[in-house]
Amino acid sequence: MTLLCAMLFFSISVLAQSQVTGTITDSEDGSPLPGVSIILKGTTSGTITDASGNFTISAGAEDVLVFSYIGYSNQEVTVGNQTSFSIALATDATELQELVVTGYSVDSRRETTGSVSTIKPRALQVTPTGNVEQQLQGRVAGVTVITNGQPGTESKVRIRGFGALGGNEPLYIVDGVPQFSTDFLSPADIESTTVLKDATAAAIYGARAAGGVIVYTTKQGKKGAVKPTITYDGTVGFTTPGNAPNVLNPQEQADWTWNALNNAAQQAGVTPSNDHPQYGSGSSPTLPEYLLAGGVSGANITPADVADATANYNINPATGGITQLVRANREGTDWYDAITRTALLHRHNIGMSGGGDGSRYYLGLGIQEQEGIILHQDFKRYTFRINTEFDLIPDKLRIGENMQMTYRAIDILGDGGGQGSADDENIINMAQRMSPIIPIYDEFGGYAGTAAPGFNNPENPVASLDGSKNNRTFLAESFGNVYLEFEPIEDLTFKTSFGGRYQNFNQKGYVRRQYENSENNSAFGFNQASQYTTQWVWTNTANYKKSFGDHNIGLLLGQEALNSGSTNSAPTFRSISGSGLDPFSQSTDFVNLSTVGSQVLNGGHSNGINYSSLFGRIAYDFDSKYLATVVIRRDGSSVLGKDVRFGTFPAFSLGWRISEEGFMSGSTFIDDLKLRGGWGIVGNVNNVPGTNQFSLYGTSIGNSSYDIGGSNSGARQGFFLSNIGNPAAKWEQSKSTNIGFDGLLLDGKIDFVIDFWSKTTTDLLFQLPITTQRSSQAQAPFVNVGKMKNKGVDLKIVAKGDLSSDLKYEVTFNGSFLDNEIVRLAPGIDDLPNRSASYRGVTPILNQVGQPLSAFYGFEVEGLFRDQSDVDGHATQDGAAPGRFKFKDIDGNGEIDLDDRTTLGNPIPDFTGGLTIKLNYKNWELEMYSFASIGNEIFNVGKLFTDFYPLFPGAAISNRVKNSWSFSDPSGTIPIFENVSNFSTNTQSNSFYVEDGSYFRLQNVTFGYIFPNVTLDRLGMEKLKVSVSANNLFTITGYDGLDPGVGGAADTNFGVDIGNFPITRSWTFNVSMAF
Amino acid sequence: MKKINKLKIISLSLVVVVLTTVSCEDSFLDVAPTGSLTDVELTTTPGLEGTLIGAYSFLLGRSGFYSDASNWFWGSVLGGDANKGTNAGDQSQVNEIQTYSVQTNNASVNEKYRALFEGVSRANATLLLALTPQEDVSAATLNRVIAEARFLRGHYYFDLKKIFNDVPYVDETWDGLTPVPNNADLWPFIEADFQFAFDNLPETQSDAGRANKWAAGAYLGKALLFQGKFGPAKSMFDNVIANGVTASGDAYALVSSYELSFRSTNDNNEEAVFQVQAAAGTGNINNANPALVLNFPHGTAGPERPGGCCGFNQPSFELVNSFRTVNGLPLLDGSYNDAANEVVSDQGLSSADAFTPDAGNLDPRLDHSVGRRGIPYLDWGPHPGQDWIRDQAYGGAYSPKKFIYYKEGIGVENDGSSWTPGYTAVNYSIIRFADVLLMAAEAEIEAGSVSQAMDYINQVRQRAADSPVLDDTGADAASYDVALYTAATFTDPTAALRMERKLELSGEGHRFYDLVRWGIAAETLNDYLAHEDALLNSPFVGASFTSGKNEYLPIPQNEIDLQGTEVISQNPGY
Repeated sequence: MTLLCAMLFFSISVLAQSQVTGTITDSEDGSPLPGVSIILKGTTSGTITDASGNFTISAGAEDVLVFSYIGYSNQEVTVGNQTSFSIALATDATELQELVVTGYSVDSRRETTGSVSTIKPRALQVTPTGNVEQQLQGRVAGVTVITNGQPGTESKVRIRGFGALGGNEPLYIVDGVPQFSTDFLSPADIESTTVLKDATAAAIYGARAAGGVIVYTTKQGKKGAVKPTITYDGTVGFTTPGNAPNVLNPQEQADWTWNALNNAAQQAGVTPSNDHPQYGSGSSPTLPEYLLAGGVSGANITPADVADATANYNINPATGGITQLVRANREGTDWYDAITRTALLHRHNIGMSGGGDGSRYYLGLGIQEQEGIILHQDFKRYTFRINTEFDLIPDKLRIGENMQMTYRAIDILGDGGGQGSADDENIINMAQRMSPIIPIYDEFGGYAGTAAPGFNNPENPVASLDGSKNNRTFLAESFGNVYLEFEPIEDLTFKTSFGGRYQNFNQKGYVRRQYENSENNSAFGFNQASQYTTQWVWTNTANYKKSFGDHNIGLLLGQEALNSGSTNSAPTFRSISGSGLDPFSQSTDFVNLSTVGSQVLNGGHSNGINYSSLFGRIAYDFDSKYLATVVIRRDGSSVLGKDVRFGTFPAFSLGWRISEEGFMSGSTFIDDLKLRGGWGIVGNVNNVPGTNQFSLYGTSIGNSSYDIGGSNSGARQGFFLSNIGNPAAKWEQSKSTNIGFDGLLLDGKIDFVIDFWSKTTTDLLFQLPITTQRSSQAQAPFVNVGKMKNKGVDLKIVAKGDLSSDLKYEVTFNGSFLDNEIVRLAPGIDDLPNRSASYRGVTPILNQVGQPLSAFYGFEVEGLFRDQSDVDGHATQDGAAPGRFKFKDIDGNGEIDLDDRTTLGNPIPDFTGGLTIKLNYKNWELEMYSFASIGNEIFNVGKLFTDFYPLFPGAAISNRVKNSWSFSDPSGTIPIFENVSNFSTNTQSNSFYVEDGSYFRLQNVTFGYIFPNVTLDRLGMEKLKVSVSANNLFTITGYDGLDPGVGGAADTNFGVDIGNFPITRSWTFNVSMAF
Repeated sequence: MKKINKLKIISLSLVVVVLTTVSCEDSFLDVAPTGSLTDVELTTTPGLEGTLIGAYSFLLGRSGFYSDASNWFWGSVLGGDANKGTNAGDQSQVNEIQTYSVQTNNASVNEKYRALFEGVSRANATLLLALTPQEDVSAATLNRVIAEARFLRGHYYFDLKKIFNDVPYVDETWDGLTPVPNNADLWPFIEADFQFAFDNLPETQSDAGRANKWAAGAYLGKALLFQGKFGPAKSMFDNVIANGVTASGDAYALVSSYELSFRSTNDNNEEAVFQVQAAAGTGNINNANPALVLNFPHGTAGPERPGGCCGFNQPSFELVNSFRTVNGLPLLDGSYNDAANEVVSDQGLSSADAFTPDAGNLDPRLDHSVGRRGIPYLDWGPHPGQDWIRDQAYGGAYSPKKFIYYKEGIGVENDGSSWTPGYTAVNYSIIRFADVLLMAAEAEIEAGSVSQAMDYINQVRQRAADSPVLDDTGADAASYDVALYTAATFTDPTAALRMERKLELSGEGHRFYDLVRWGIAAETLNDYLAHEDALLNSPFVGASFTSGKNEYLPIPQNEIDLQGTEVISQNPGY
């Protein structure tokens, strides 16, 4: 009956129609808007604007035209007797009117009851980072991004804290295909980004979505577009490496070497007898002219040695002993400067979109080539995307596809795709350790290094980088989906979508044979690795949306099967890798795995993990005033044992648009106000490897082979228990509650969204340590014990308006407060040892009950011992002496022991926020984006390397040691600089290394000019905008290391800085045009 | 109508698709693990043999520098044969161990504990699989595999016993979960394992690296000796000395020259009662003595050297002085440290300064065990002194010399595939025949004949006398003088025996455990600390050995935290 009525109404309006035309422009810059949809209100008929923003539609006088465009406010105009329209759409629709792409459907924000954020496409392109997820930092309240400045680095994204002890990555949905990484995407291809933060919104994605969901849709063409729209966006720029940390100059370093030896002697009560291979044995050190001549070291070199080294110079280990002549660089080598460069970057994107009757297409072509500030470090990404859709039966049956091909070449520092660069001893740390008196090259062009005795063991970082300059890593992949949409009756849509990802990876690396260091390898090495991975997902949904008077109802039913990976389980893959040594020739044209000796071959494979799911959702609202949504999803995962592999997870939410109530009608300043609340449970096994249910034996040449036959040259294969299974592991459950307000105030001048949320994870799955007598090599199974709690407040405020007719402003503030706590581990287990990396004996992190994840742990430093009487008066402490650390006797038992260790801070910020200020004056635009992180600590373990003498005696020393305690100046704040290593000097984790990591950074300033229509017409263009940007202009922080933006591999081990890759300053010039 | 049919078909097929997928859900969710085996597959003969190999493989420690069977740090450094060496900051977590002020959470202590229990766990895994053998496993094979596994379990528990005293004892019948307190004496279990191995192992084996009957016998004798059961120990050693052969069938004997026990080209020789098999070039350095890689001369100045890193395990002045001989005999009264007797060293001199090596009489085993300036360092030329020492003021004047590869063996005796070439194929002897003779001598002194003891000691001394280090002219590199004991000079058999063990077995991981079982650790080591502290800058400041505590390392704190103090009790004093 309803259908009949609608058809009747439709035919009447058709009868009364006449042609109307118009142009739609952007209200800010007057540029034409292509692809705006124009619909006759209450009908399904409509059109879209062409590339010049023009449209033609048949409409009657009573018809109301509805103009809508993603990112712009809707406008409604009654046709009346007008036949030509000039419509200016206001950009940046209020938060409430934005479209949000939630689970398997598109809704308006007004109807949404979950906690959802959207990001404007533009925000993803402002700074030229490598991977798109880096752009989320500070753009969405409640999203934490742990990243660093390396192009191509993988970041850790956390939505609303850390739900579990690992595997808290959000699930990314790209055009409906779930993924755990989106490094293949080109930011320019992204049309919309929606972040589903709470269980209500994310639950429809079920298990795997416990860490929240980020939904990307890529750009589409428009059906019926008259001519194609071609856009070009380009960026060129450069990045500067910034300044090196301050180290002592050569003379100072020699003096401080003497100080270290003298202080040690004085502490021990003996007469110092200083003797150094470079600085001689005098009462004060002398800088040598040469550091090394043949086998003779600095202090002992005679002119004859110099002549001898010159005559017998040889740096080729293959042709005999190494003989070098190395002159001291008394001016000091700036090693940081030596390994860095001003790095160029350029990025170009061409997009072409359009459509015909019953078809649409989008073509995207992207190139990004970006140098890292470290020599030979490059990132390249080439992307090609083609999205199309065709009507097979008009209004009934459509087929479409989204397809992307990506080539990426990355060469970055650190483990985990660069995530680990802050906490491993990488090239930056190496440069910080290299003594400045060592030159980069010897007298005849070879590398100089610590082969000159007395400078310990850092490797010449320039030599290391040069040696790896031919190393290559590239990935070629394709990603996408094909779908069929079918509408048997109005309001009911069936959709089936098959998506997948195929990735191919190849890597080659060369290890040069060293000669210039104190510890040299003894062979030239080559290694190569190759791997493919596949993933697929098949999704079938039925969607029904219908209004009955004031009752609006939406139903969704779906089924999904997939073969993929998770954060701790590989997708289906096969890999092969090999290495070998000492080829006949080291030419890259000659070297391959067949031409090297001592070949070693490795391989691996996995069948991935499978999921099978059913899900449903009912959304109901009454008069757009009272809203309710119920979601239920049943997931089965191959990760879990047969009896426990299925879990059913519910979520519901309610909304009340208070502003629609009669009693609010008198309010003059509230335009719209919605109260939302939700509760839900999401299951999670992301952290659990696919083999968790099995007890397995493995074999490994490194771990279980043995030369039982006594051959001296081979080892027989052995087996060992590699995995202890737990078939009883069941779904971890993350319960979340959310209460929020969405509001629009003061005639739309102020938008706000505020959410109060809490998320409690129970049956927390983690690897409970097993007793050593059971095994120390087998993987312990994940078991369900433990509980984690996260709570917080997310806030977004947008204020905008006109200061005058020419000057407009828009200020966006995103802020989030986060509180994370490990509530419970297992009975009798209060902490998780062995989760933290150890840095030359110092272990900074202990995950403990009652503390946030990755909390720093160690002794609390009360100060430095003033003198012997201070030592005598203090609790007994091993190695105590004047000028050394004085640890607090926490348990008051008069003895400093392990029980006196305590929590020293944690790397999770209490507050993070972003502030964007945008000003438009006529055609000029100024945008500033800044980010702040407050209340986090950093464990600056880099100081262990630079502020203490004995760890690497002879390595470069920070000039902070000038503030060290000494017998002559006991006011110093840094421990006495001495050649002693014990409990009270440098072997224990303590609060000396813990620093406040709060910072404020001006991330981006962009100043642009939008060309007016007059000029554009002359140029034959539809849009032209030029801008200049500066990124990371300044950072305000009290942190002592290179940069407070310390990355790391979350979740139980991050916030430790050993030589962080700094966030670097860059300048870019940008052009954006459309034809 | 045709259109509607089409729609119906499509709708229907969607429903079918959904139903089909749901119905085969269960098999869809069964995903097999890859690259691994289940226990059933390993109860075949090759499976049992493979898990046994896995149990052997942890003799090498395989991870970390402190976990292998050589106990270079735990037995030799803690026993005063050597100090940590290198410089103050390198591997500084072990500084507190060598000063006997170790904390219970020390990472290196934990590493050793974990490695030994991994060995236990692998032996137990083999024994558990052997309980349900497949039909292809012959009775003889099964019996041999069980006996080898029990030998290995005996070894790992022996190490745990002497390092940590009593630890939780678990065998293959343990379910892996029931709490096991560490209150049971391990000795009966260790004895039972070696006794079983002695009773069931063949005399000869198809592989040189396997434990055989006589290795088990020697180890059983050692276990008895450690318990003070001198009579049974003596009879076992008598049997081993009289009848023992290596796994390859060679009658046990001393190799002709001392250094031949420490060269990979002479692995599995007639003196090797039970050796850890190391191999180079296998594709992984974990097969090439990964725990000994630090113990090479350090630096780049001066002549070419083996390894290049890292200057650990530097022999002590006290040890070097012990090699002084007067009338060919060692100074049993400790006077070797007197100014008149101590060995002249180049401490405080750079390699450019002139130096003349000690001219007095010495036992040549010194120059096979210790690299010292002016004496040929294997075939690498004379040791240049300070150029090969990382921090002379901290670590002293000497370099370790056993288990170093030869220059002529580059690429064969060592593995060059990693960051340093100091990964070697040199086997370490857990028990070698000289040790058996000295243990037998000890049992004779306590429960038998002193003259038989003297005879055993003299066999060892005679081989020492026959092992001079030669310089490149073929002459003795120093003034060597070794005499045999006679009834007249063998007046303090216990002192002579103890000194002989120190000299013969230095740097082989035995000294600390000898001192502890003799009950003289505190006095000996405190004297040692005082002696070295006066010569070195800072490693031993404040160090002292506490009797009743430092005989054993602490049980790693992790274990106590995990299992509770009601299950695991800490060793006294910690």
